[in-house]
Amino acid sequence: MALREPQPGTATEGRLIVRKLLLLLALLLLACDAELPPNTPAVRVDQVMGAEPDPGFTRALEARPFRFPQDYGAHPEYATEWWYLTGNLQTQKGHRFGYQFTLFRVALRPGEPLQDSAWRTRQIYMGHLAISDVAAARHYSAERLSRAAAGLAGARATPFEVWLGPWSMRADSGLFPMKVSAENGDIGLSLQLLAGNKPIVLQGDRGLSRKSATPGNASYYYSFTRLPTRGELHIGDRVYSVQGDSWLDREWSSSALDSDQAGWDWFALQLEDGRDLMYYQLRTRQGGMHAFSRGTLVEKDGSVRTLLPEQVKLTPLRHWQAEGNTRYPVSWRLQVPEQGLDLEVQALLDDQLMDHSVQYWEGAVEVSGSHRGRGYLELSGYAGSP
Amino acid sequence: MNLFSPLLLRAGLRYLMHHRWQGLLALSGIALGVAVVLAVDLANSGARAAFELSVQQLQGKATHRLAVPGDLLPDEVYINLKRQPGAPPMAPVVSDWVRIKGAPGRYQLVGFDLFAEAPFRGQIAERLTAPAFISDWLTDAGGLLPGAAATRALRLVAGDRLDIVYRDQPTTLQVLQANTQQDSSGDNVLLVDIATAKTILDMQGQLSYVDLILDPDSEHWIRQHIPPGVELQTVAEQAQGVTRLSAAFELNLTAMSLLAMLVGMFLVFNAMTFSLVQRRSLFGRLRAIGVTPRELFTLILLEAVMMAMLGTLLGMLIGVWLGKGLTRLVAATVSDLYYTVSVSALQLDGTSLMFAAVLGVLATLLATLVPAWQAARTPPLTTLSRTALEQAARRGIPLWAVFGLLLLLAGLLLALVLPGGVIMSFAGLFSLVLGAAMMTPLMIRLLHRLLTTVALPGIWRMGVRDLDRHLSRLGIAVAALMVALSASVGVGVMVESMRGSVHTWLTELLCADLYVAAQGFDEGARLPETFLQEVSGLETVAAISRYRERTLPLHGRHVELIGAHLAAPSRRGFALLSSTASAWQDFDNGAVLLSEPLAYRLGLVPGASLQLPTAEGPLNVQVAAVFRDYASEHGRIFLDETVYRRYWPDQGLNTLALFARNGEVASMRRELGELAAHTALVLTPAAAILEESMAVFDRTFRVTEVLRAVSLVVAFIGVLSALMALQLERGKEYAVLRALGLTRVQLVGLISGESLLMGLLAACVAIPTGVLMAWVLIQSVQQRAFGWTMPFSVDTGLLLQTLLVGLLAAGLAAIYPAWRSASRNPAPQLRED
Repeated sequence: MALREPQPGTATEGRLIVRKLLLLLALLLLACDAELPPNTPAVRVDQVMGAEPDPGFTRALEARPFRFPQDYGAHPEYATEWWYLTGNLQTQKGHRFGYQFTLFRVALRPGEPLQDSAWRTRQIYMGHLAISDVAAARHYSAERLSRAAAGLAGARATPFEVWLGPWSMRADSGLFPMKVSAENGDIGLSLQLLAGNKPIVLQGDRGLSRKSATPGNASYYYSFTRLPTRGELHIGDRVYSVQGDSWLDREWSSSALDSDQAGWDWFALQLEDGRDLMYYQLRTRQGGMHAFSRGTLVEKDGSVRTLLPEQVKLTPLRHWQAEGNTRYPVSWRLQVPEQGLDLEVQALLDDQLMDHSVQYWEGAVEVSGSHRGRGYLELSGYAGSP
Repeated sequence: MNLFSPLLLRAGLRYLMHHRWQGLLALSGIALGVAVVLAVDLANSGARAAFELSVQQLQGKATHRLAVPGDLLPDEVYINLKRQPGAPPMAPVVSDWVRIKGAPGRYQLVGFDLFAEAPFRGQIAERLTAPAFISDWLTDAGGLLPGAAATRALRLVAGDRLDIVYRDQPTTLQVLQANTQQDSSGDNVLLVDIATAKTILDMQGQLSYVDLILDPDSEHWIRQHIPPGVELQTVAEQAQGVTRLSAAFELNLTAMSLLAMLVGMFLVFNAMTFSLVQRRSLFGRLRAIGVTPRELFTLILLEAVMMAMLGTLLGMLIGVWLGKGLTRLVAATVSDLYYTVSVSALQLDGTSLMFAAVLGVLATLLATLVPAWQAARTPPLTTLSRTALEQAARRGIPLWAVFGLLLLLAGLLLALVLPGGVIMSFAGLFSLVLGAAMMTPLMIRLLHRLLTTVALPGIWRMGVRDLDRHLSRLGIAVAALMVALSASVGVGVMVESMRGSVHTWLTELLCADLYVAAQGFDEGARLPETFLQEVSGLETVAAISRYRERTLPLHGRHVELIGAHLAAPSRRGFALLSSTASAWQDFDNGAVLLSEPLAYRLGLVPGASLQLPTAEGPLNVQVAAVFRDYASEHGRIFLDETVYRRYWPDQGLNTLALFARNGEVASMRRELGELAAHTALVLTPAAAILEESMAVFDRTFRVTEVLRAVSLVVAFIGVLSALMALQLERGKEYAVLRALGLTRVQLVGLISGESLLMGLLAACVAIPTGVLMAWVLIQSVQQRAFGWTMPFSVDTGLLLQTLLVGLLAAGLAAIYPAWRSASRNPAPQLRED
């Protein structure tokens, strides 16, 4: 999951990721115009948040059987979709890095596009690339956008490929080993992801991840939680040979959040004992934990246990203040008493802010406490709130 | 300066206050000179700025451009580059000219890929960011953002439908958002999504070009990654081709602006000299009471500075006002001829303002220096005698004339003999005009001598002699009138000569009976290939010439390349200026015909060879002949159809020229009409094309006509001010004359007769000067700027017209002074003494 929610205060906000993304695509263009104040996008987002989801999009109403390899590819009948990779990597000498590489698909309108030109499309791709250099305490990030037409961007199930210009995830057969490559100016990565020992994890109810009581406010969501990864990162003129573990989330939906939800805190933790923990807390406008918050604990053998909000206790320990007074809780205590977990999750760098068309915090974390581990933390819906 | 100076200054100011009219006239002289220069300059730069702005808006921050010379760029080139890691910012562009149904002018339909635009055209992209539009823009086939010009011209609001026509194919687009920005004045762009543009312009799989932002590293990268046939051009190279489009027009305006400046300088000079000459007696008295020459000199200069500043300020105000009207006129002509520009508000160009200000102050000071020095230098009291003054002025006349002759000769040498560019031609032209102006007093005196030998009735003789007496005052006014008149003659003769040669050239060239083109020809519409066979089968058709054309980038310009099958009579229509021994045979074997401007610019003569860029690499061709051509200043190349089709096979047929058998034009036309019933064709007789072309020609020079009129008006005001000052000064003299028995009518006759004589003399000098100017304009300026030559022809009607205008200006200028002097009661004036 990703994406920030806009400022609280308007009743209609928080509905449509599609609309927002689409708008923000445009606002990206403004970003290069130095005369505009940096917070302009947030203000404008509100203006379109009132729109209802276009009924022409298919909605995630009930659990469905996943079919592979087809479901590795795109689902253009849904409004949004993403291929979301995060991971913790290190060199042989122990130089640690975090990376995020996400390709988003956004449908501007439901239905088939006009057939007048090969450049005509209703689909847009947005890519986010970030590398956290822990030793140097630097976080680099980049964004890319394109229409999904004329071969400029797109997704294909067999042989698997999702691409956005030169950025791509691809495989010769199936999904793994997956070759991942992306670069932007000073930074770049070229990685190979192996299937590892963990099977696919269908999140929620057999892959239907409901985000609120409203039918259709849900996504199809599956994950690969521990993918042995090796390859190269480059930052400036330096090239690092790295290895570690990645985490892949695949999710598509047409409408996900309800009006009383402000954002989420999402944890993807790989523990040293072989267990993987995913938990997302949907925050209510009042700041509490929404009843539809969910998690899964993946055992070493791949068996999956669902975590409900009453089983999990989340306490923010420390906040980091970004520019514009947005405060992000970058250190947490995560307790699952039933599972004997009492974890302290701490950002490896405070500033792992993704400040592009969509502003959110996405960063590598270190896990300590009852168990040790590594992972990624995503904080959304904080921008604009005091 | 000593303590005395404030007192002196007060004396100067007092004089001006007392002789308010004189102060005002001097001031208006300066102001008008400055105003004209500024107005023309503003109009000129306004149109240019509007054009440059639209070019810049389109270029955005691009530094380079990828294109296939003379062709379109395949999509794959861009997409392959775009998918390579390390690719620099790139933006694909699809564009061409279209028309809007029910609206004049042409608009540029431009298709962008929004997602590639961010680094390039922030300003244009910004307009797309209104939230509701993005989806429509990308997914609708007809989403359109009109530019400022279209918005204003068609009064568009969001939701309006616009029918655009490309190659006779109409498409309806919907306005998503009306552009009400005031600053994007030259914006004649219709913005659509690239998919929409590709559909409308029928460019599937192809791009017009790709914009790039490159630094040296990425330039190297691009060069390594582009396939053969694709060329990397800098934006500067690209822009050159675009801006050259209006060079002819701009040169015209610049020439007129400079001539106006010259007239303006004369006015300033005239005004200042006059004001000083009149005060000779005052200066004499000041000298007599002990004012040193230095003090006097400083006083005069100080006064001049004050006058200059005030006059310049006033002139700038008038200039801005005048410039507004002129700018609109210039913009209208530019829109008519080249590209649609709309100048919503006057562009107050800093350089123009600065230039006008400097000119006003400098010219005034320059004009003051000599008389100030003279005034300061004269011994006390002698200055009181005006006769002495006139005699001194008279003595100076031959010297001025010699100096003027030298300048004139130097001008001719510079423009016609010495090698150099257009600037040198203009420098020569100015030297010539200045020289002629300096010779004017002598010429007038000679003409005057001639007049005195003619027996005239008493009162007339008085006027004639009187003029000679006031030469020191009137000489400069006459010279100013002369300059304005000669500029008018020069430009007029040039335009007439050009019109004549264009007419002859077209008449010879358009020798076919009927021309057939597809509708929407100027957007590149093509004739169906089957049509040719059908036409060939017609019995009434004796011969057919076929033409296929495209633009080709050649040495930084866009020349027209025409692949032609020329029938024998078409060949006779070419006025070959020089050719190889067997030019037409060579042409049939693949040699080319080069238009005169292109041959001049490239320095090519028949027999030389030339490289044409093609998709398969450069093509070497021989020059068979150079032909007279005014169709394009960039140049045209004729190539035999068979050779042409080998390199540009996809280019369809654009035009057919048909020759009727036994002069059966009417029946051929009827047969064709039946054939064309189901095809959108335009059948045009040669006469109609000729008429249309000449109409375009006349429209081009409409602004020139207006500027000619403006400079005449300025000269008229110059004469008026000189006359006014003179008559005011001579009030007492007139009173004496009246007292001696001269009637009011006689006095009016005397004054207007003098004035008319002045106009006549000015015109007499202006006519030869103007003809000489025209000669320089045609032989030097036109050739160096455009590369074409033309026979020189002088229309006597035009010369006569100039004479009349001179007389009219002088006559009109005399009305008020004459009325004023005559209506005054002489008694009080006499009593004052």
